[in-house]
Amino acid sequence: MTAAVIAMGAVGLTLQVGVTNFVNFAYGDFVTFGAYVTYAVDNASGSFATGVICGGLATGLLALLCNLVLFRTFVAQKARVITLVIVTVGLSFIVQNAVIVIWGTGAYTYNVTIGNALHLGPLILTPGDLAIIGASVVLLLGLHALLQYTRFGKSLRATSDNADLALACGIDTGRLVNWTWVISGFFAAVAGVALVLETNTLRPTVGFNELFLFFAAVILGGLGRPYGAMLGALIIGLATEIAGMYVDAAYKSAIAFAILVLVLLFRPEGIFATRGKTD
Amino acid sequence: MMYFLVAALALGCINAIMVLGFNIQYGFTGILNFTYYTFAAIGAYIAAVTTMGPPPQGVGIQVYILQWSLPWPVGLLLGGLVAAAAGLLVVLIAVRRLRSDYLAIVTVSVGYIIWDVIDNYIPLFNGDNGLFAVPHITGSMRLSSLGYAVVMLIVSALCLGVFYLVARRIYHSPFGRVLRAVREDEVVAASFGKNVFQAQVWVFVIGSFMAGVAGGLLIQYIGAWNPNAFLPLETFVLLAALVIGGTANYNGSILGAFLIIEVVDEASRFLPTFGRPDLVGAVRAIVIGVALILVLRFKPGGLLAESRVRLYGRGEAR
Amino acid sequence: MTTESILEIRDVHFAYGGVRAVDGCSFTVGRQASTGLIGPNGAGKSTLIEVVAGGLRPQSGQVLFEGEDIAGMGRMGIARRGIVRTFQLSRELLHLPVIENVMIAAQDQVGENPMTALFAAPRWRPQETDLLQRADELLAWVGLERLRYAPAGSLSGGQRRLLDIARALMARPKLLLLDEPTAGVYPALVQMIAERLKELPAMGVTLLMVAHNMGFVASVCDDVVVMAQGRMLTRGSLDEVRGNREVVQAYLGG
Repeated sequence: MTAAVIAMGAVGLTLQVGVTNFVNFAYGDFVTFGAYVTYAVDNASGSFATGVICGGLATGLLALLCNLVLFRTFVAQKARVITLVIVTVGLSFIVQNAVIVIWGTGAYTYNVTIGNALHLGPLILTPGDLAIIGASVVLLLGLHALLQYTRFGKSLRATSDNADLALACGIDTGRLVNWTWVISGFFAAVAGVALVLETNTLRPTVGFNELFLFFAAVILGGLGRPYGAMLGALIIGLATEIAGMYVDAAYKSAIAFAILVLVLLFRPEGIFATRGKTD
Repeated sequence: MMYFLVAALALGCINAIMVLGFNIQYGFTGILNFTYYTFAAIGAYIAAVTTMGPPPQGVGIQVYILQWSLPWPVGLLLGGLVAAAAGLLVVLIAVRRLRSDYLAIVTVSVGYIIWDVIDNYIPLFNGDNGLFAVPHITGSMRLSSLGYAVVMLIVSALCLGVFYLVARRIYHSPFGRVLRAVREDEVVAASFGKNVFQAQVWVFVIGSFMAGVAGGLLIQYIGAWNPNAFLPLETFVLLAALVIGGTANYNGSILGAFLIIEVVDEASRFLPTFGRPDLVGAVRAIVIGVALILVLRFKPGGLLAESRVRLYGRGEAR
Repeated sequence: MTTESILEIRDVHFAYGGVRAVDGCSFTVGRQASTGLIGPNGAGKSTLIEVVAGGLRPQSGQVLFEGEDIAGMGRMGIARRGIVRTFQLSRELLHLPVIENVMIAAQDQVGENPMTALFAAPRWRPQETDLLQRADELLAWVGLERLRYAPAGSLSGGQRRLLDIARALMARPKLLLLDEPTAGVYPALVQMIAERLKELPAMGVTLLMVAHNMGFVASVCDDVVVMAQGRMLTRGSLDEVRGNREVVQAYLGG
């Protein structure tokens, strides 16, 4: 369940990191933004599905805009990676607080009814949970098809492996980067919606608070590796849930990060990476 | 009005100490510690619980460790030292074999773990409710709030002065040159026999110590502290002050601290409230974000460029 | 070889994954000699330099420097023993002034840790004046004295090669490893670099140099080691190895 949310968030993040080679600290706020747009459209149209689609598209557009207006100019002037990371920190300030300016700091919930819980052994699943898991499986399979069977997907994987070589092979990296941002934003939004369904509260910090869990999954899987990120998310998700059974539930996330730090100590390139990307 | 001015100056000095320590890590050496403010929090908690006695009666129940009732300068020093020790632990995990972006992730993770434990393990520092009614450094002396602000301004300014001299001397020493070399190219630094790892460890410890002392000053001034006071956002605000003021410029850190944290953060409370109350804070944060990005775009070194190298016997390099 | 050897490479193997870049290479370098390391692309020359400098740990074999096995000691430890290197692509500290790029190289400076930096200023201040003077002399020696306060990033490719050499000498090396010191340098400057390098033996510096420009090698080196396929093919004077049929074959893609 948690794994499904983290998986969608982590996949969107890792695709972008793989292609652009810098970590996006505003990603959590993209997640928040998507969840809010979904809320607004759902309220206006009365259709939750329309809300989710609009949220995904709006966040994809936002991410695209950020790339066109911000990141592209910094990349063009050959800024260092750390500079780009700090730019995303500034962007995080802007997006998070723009959300506050538009929607305020109050907490909201979606108007979706969630049926009775199912008991599967120690696990408790609501139909909402099942819907999230189902939706995430469908989306991740869709992404898999995109990556494996389309020209775009092949270009994306090639660029992620070696950007210079991909450019030399005639891949239009500028367009590819744009599309990567759109997809990254889309997954951010969907992860945001799933997150709010799971926790039942929508606040301006909802995505930012989860950002580091997404990072954890991305790093576990190896930077820029979507399948690694999915497995990383599964591990983080299961680890937090299992840890929740033995220690106080409040320490769940701390456990996840402790696992991450341990993994980094012994496998700096992530668990599933066959070879590290060199810098 | 006088009170606000003095209070703002005192807080400005405390923030300047934090930015200065952060600058030694990031500006001087190129280590970006995404959980820098956590070390200020550690300093704050330690400074509080070592100077507080048993919980004061009549202001609400709180529990915390130590209760040593030490004099405040000792508490401040202990706060700095424990923060430095925590910094040592983190840097030993993080720097040894990790790339810079992994360093970011490790610092973020460790910061989250520390936050989570402090927030939830109540016997330590009273959990989510935090510490309150931390005694003034003037003890039972009766002072107006203006009087206490003046005392804290003097103490903070003195501390800032000492740390400023430390940062300046480090920058212009052979050690400072090693740090710059590590920042520019670790491989080259090592190829000329410099101990890169040792330099990074030292810098992390020194920066954490400064954060810890600043945190201690902060809690002694405002008298309360809880986990909401050290969310990840705080480190980002310090980073904005550092980058806008001037990366690797010790004067820039002070400029940045006063400009961003004081002018943008504090002065806006004098603005008339327009619309909803949450709007002021949000607009303020947006201003910081925009300023950060504009500075990086058009003046990447910050408002004050990197300090000039001092050539002994010959003035400064042009 | 009549002179005593300072460096002995003994059956060194290094592979990147499955690619055996250095494959059983052995030779010695005489003290205060200038030895050229030549060979076709992919012969393992730069890899070998990297192994000697401590950037790579050989999978097997020994690197004896003044009788001590330094293989796998790491860059810092090897630099401290007196082996200094330049890089195939110049690596300056781009945002720092040229003069600091040179000063950083001096070994065993007082004040390189925070305790001495803070509390022993009376000891390192005069040292700074000395370092400055020596750095100025070296910059004048390579003709860069007018650029000493410019950021190293503003230098041209050829100027950077000169800075590389000045910086390396600031460390007072026993053994200097140069990796293609004339790559991308225009001919007049190549001549100047050669003149400078010829002065090194008299300064007590041993030189081991990877180079492709044979005219340059001929003017600087008295001894040439030819590498092919990860090991030494032959050695001798440049004229001797030029006449060697194996060498010609290696270059023509044997």
